[in-house]
Amino acid sequence: MKNWLLILFTLIALATLQLIWPASLRFFNANPDLLLIFAVSLVFYFNFKIALIAGILAGLLKDAFLPSTLAINTASFAVWSYLTFRLSSQISTENNYVRLVIILIIALLNNAVIGMQSLSSGSFIPAGIFLRNLIIPSVYTTALSPLVFKLTKKISG
Amino acid sequence: MFKLSRKTIINFVLIACAVVLISIFSPFFKNSAQKTFNPHLSLISLLKRECTGIIFYHRNMVEFDRLKNDAENLRRNLFDLREVGQENIRLKNLLGFKQKSPLRLIPARVIARSPDSWSSSVIIDKGRYNGVRPGMVAINNLGLVGRVIESSENNSKILLINDPSQGISSIVQRSRQEGLVSGSLGANLIMRYLPPEAQISAGDIIITSELSQVYPKGLLVGKVINIGKEFSGLSRYAVVKPAVELSSIEEVFVIVP
Repeated sequence: MKNWLLILFTLIALATLQLIWPASLRFFNANPDLLLIFAVSLVFYFNFKIALIAGILAGLLKDAFLPSTLAINTASFAVWSYLTFRLSSQISTENNYVRLVIILIIALLNNAVIGMQSLSSGSFIPAGIFLRNLIIPSVYTTALSPLVFKLTKKISG
Repeated sequence: MFKLSRKTIINFVLIACAVVLISIFSPFFKNSAQKTFNPHLSLISLLKRECTGIIFYHRNMVEFDRLKNDAENLRRNLFDLREVGQENIRLKNLLGFKQKSPLRLIPARVIARSPDSWSSSVIIDKGRYNGVRPGMVAINNLGLVGRVIESSENNSKILLINDPSQGISSIVQRSRQEGLVSGSLGANLIMRYLPPEAQISAGDIIITSELSQVYPKGLLVGKVINIGKEFSGLSRYAVVKPAVELSSIEEVFVIVP
């Protein structure tokens, strides 16, 4: 119960931070996806069921503040949680560098999925801006992930 | 590496479908999430505003002096224009023109921004309770900002004009050339479907057209900064710098139709 309360509180805090991310900390109009880092990092520190449910909640929370009606993040966050769980049973994810690489790959894939969905819905996005939105937020997300890892580790006790 | 049994795949697909369906068909979650976040987002944005004011005290002081001078100049211009305006009203009355009613505006403050880089939207602190409804247009003192796409009790979501899903029927103010302005997630907008012989050049002002079903006619969209040819060679496009600095917008006015 205590774990759940802490997870919910952290989810709300990270979502708030992501929503009010200061303009001076945006690089090329990109902000980090703190909810995605948290959803993935839960798999490293908690059992899979908790991580999956919290991942879905994180996705729902992100989708609630997006203009799109399709809950793409809800589904994708659940997929990333599941795949990270499967991967962590195949390889050792104890090393922080491995975790950073996993976050980078997931952030790139998540951005690619959302970008493709945006393109397939008929939106016009120039190739340069597509690549910028794919790479810069992913790298930014990866760069901030150690902080969220520390926070998740603290919550897990 | 991944050996997935059929049962696992089916279970997972079912869970994912359930989650997607629940979230699509229940705007309840969206509304309650926004309602939960509204009080502390408003408070945090207020604190952020005050802190920025203190940190950038000197810059604000210089800006204040400059704006004070500008206000003096504008006051003088306004006095001259008032005379012209009164003359205009007299002439219109003489010609029997129907007086156009002024826009009714609802002022609102931006409390949050889009949490990802693939869409461009903001959340404002006014909602259905204050009369804001989906489809209403948002402007600020510089020009067009976007349109309301969702409104809950106490806040609303505005899709900004640089979102790629936006399409604004617009015209070049000088030549009345029509085109479609759409966002590209970047700092500039793109005006497309311009014929090769279109009368458009850098520096031209773009305003909303009367063909637009959503936006009122004559709202300032931006200024042309560059013109190019589409890859097909059949039409041209213009790069438009929005009149409003969309990345740092803090206050908007919602137009009540």
